Amino acid sequence: MVTVLQVEGLKKFFGSLEALKGIDFEVHEREIFALIGPNGAGKTTALRVVSTLLAPSDGKVTFLGHDLRKNPEKIREKISYLPEEAGAYRNLRGTKYLRFMANFYASTGEETEEFLKRAEGIADLGNRLDEKVGTYSKGMVRKLLLARALMTRPAMAILDEPTSGLDVINSLEVREIIKKYAREGISVLLSSHNMLEIEFLSDRVAMIDKGRILDSGTPQELKDKYQATNLEVVFRSALQ
Amino acid sequence: MKRFTNLFFKEIRELITLQLVISLLFFMGLFYFMGELGKREVKKAGAAQKISVLDLDQSEFSKELVDSLKTVNFQVEWVKEKDKEAAIQSARNSDTNLLLVIPKGFGESVAKFEVKEVETYTFLRSFSLSGLKKSEILKAIISATNNYLSNDFLKKKIPDISSESLKNPIKSKDFVIVKSRMAQGSASAIAGFVYSQSIIVPVILMMIIIYSSQMVISAIAMEKQNKTLETLLTVPINRTSIVTAKMLAAGLVGLISAVIYMFGFKFYFGSFTGDMRVSADITNVIQKLGLALDTNGYLALGISLFFAILCALALATILGVLAEDYRSAQSLIMPLIFLVLIPYFLSFFADIRSLSTPVKVFIWAIPFSHPFLATQNILLENYSAVLYGILYMFILFAVLVVLAARIFSTDRVLTMKLRWRKKKVVL
Repeated sequence: MVTVLQVEGLKKFFGSLEALKGIDFEVHEREIFALIGPNGAGKTTALRVVSTLLAPSDGKVTFLGHDLRKNPEKIREKISYLPEEAGAYRNLRGTKYLRFMANFYASTGEETEEFLKRAEGIADLGNRLDEKVGTYSKGMVRKLLLARALMTRPAMAILDEPTSGLDVINSLEVREIIKKYAREGISVLLSSHNMLEIEFLSDRVAMIDKGRILDSGTPQELKDKYQATNLEVVFRSALQ
Repeated sequence: MKRFTNLFFKEIRELITLQLVISLLFFMGLFYFMGELGKREVKKAGAAQKISVLDLDQSEFSKELVDSLKTVNFQVEWVKEKDKEAAIQSARNSDTNLLLVIPKGFGESVAKFEVKEVETYTFLRSFSLSGLKKSEILKAIISATNNYLSNDFLKKKIPDISSESLKNPIKSKDFVIVKSRMAQGSASAIAGFVYSQSIIVPVILMMIIIYSSQMVISAIAMEKQNKTLETLLTVPINRTSIVTAKMLAAGLVGLISAVIYMFGFKFYFGSFTGDMRVSADITNVIQKLGLALDTNGYLALGISLFFAILCALALATILGVLAEDYRSAQSLIMPLIFLVLIPYFLSFFADIRSLSTPVKVFIWAIPFSHPFLATQNILLENYSAVLYGILYMFILFAVLVVLAARIFSTDRVLTMKLRWRKKKVVL
């Protein structure tokens, strides 16, 4: 099993506030790994550090052999990050936005077109892609952004609350898409406070609270360990 | 480079919005309209003007005075009424704006060299340029007539002495010295001419700096407000390229906008000054004193302007990082505007060299002071001041760009915020 991401003793301070208190986890190839926890647990901070947005205060993050502190630009070429409250450029049309993002990753024109074709399939927005992003609903923007994150087939997609703002039908579609792309070789690191969603999506889970990882394992392992029927009960037991 | 151009063109597309294009077109249309109105007013002011004349004297002198009005493009309309009050009433009801009343005995008094008053009435029906210009012309005619009559009187009484020498026994011959050059002429006329020729430079500079800076700050603030910055910072493009692309795109759009605005201003002001002719005397003196910018002068001024714009863009980029959203970006531009306005007004009203040393240091520390004062310095051959200014701005720009790139390379770009409330951190 190839380890794509290795996080060791990761700490992050914001002034005197210690948001991450030395967390460890790893993500393997083709694996969907989830960080679950309540609001303010440190999930977003961990994802922001791994996606090179925030510098770690202490600890080590290695992605496909590249040290995050020394070589963040190499890492950016291989990852794709979808922030929880991300937006897209309102004055650009959907296709223009996707082309703009694809151009950062594609080395040839053919590759750009390949990315765009894939993105159109994921977003499933039809002719609306020719309209300005400013006219999209929140759900449409989210699907556009998910398409942007997955169209390049990154080595790892980092998805912060991927179904945030989506209705039930769209959430189900997004989960299916994430599963499909993981099967095709993309590693996924995601965060959510929706335990049922995590249980459906994830191969392995780490429960995080107040900047510490409480426990980790496959959903089944955790349920067995805490003698629980679902992850919500597991999390409550782990907290106690 | 491909990634840089990709981002650069996206920035251009984002900045050139329909609202911007509409506002620029509206501005151009507005100034075209105002310019055309101005032109019409100036044309009206220069065209033959009606003047009503009530000549109660009917003498040779009164006829001479009225004839002199005709030579300076006045269209004389004789008033039929025989008394002043009726003439005023008649003129009030007509479309004439001026009434000249020549009293009875005018010619006789002039012949005896006694002072006699003529009365002029100006009907202010509007405060337009043409309305005000007419009464000035009339006054000039009366003054010239006075001069002619007094000269005539002196010539008759004291034929051996020139009337001009009698009236003005002392005459001054004025010289102006600029560095090693000297020429005969009036200092105030020359200063006025140079001022009128170089007044446009600070205006252009101020507009370009403010526009470009506003574009950069807004571009960064909008990335934050629309939640696109985080995504942009995780794509494979180095942070210096992000900073540079934003600065260049905003600089370019700001420059284009400023040029369009300036074109509008030029059209508007040109409508009032377009027919002005510079006297050959002034042109000669200006050339003798070297007070016209040559190719090297324009080059030095251009370089100075260029580095000032770069400094403004770099400063705006740093300020943009502090903005939380578009609204806060608008208030963050204020310190930059003050930094532009201080040297802008000083360049009009003050002589920097006469200020105290701390004030001078403060003024020179503001990068925008250098191009504002560059025209003066070039014309007065203070090239070292211009060169030191350029060098200072270059160093400052380099420092600011490094600082901006460093901010963008760290998580400060996401965590730096200028606000009075307690900082809220998303975990």
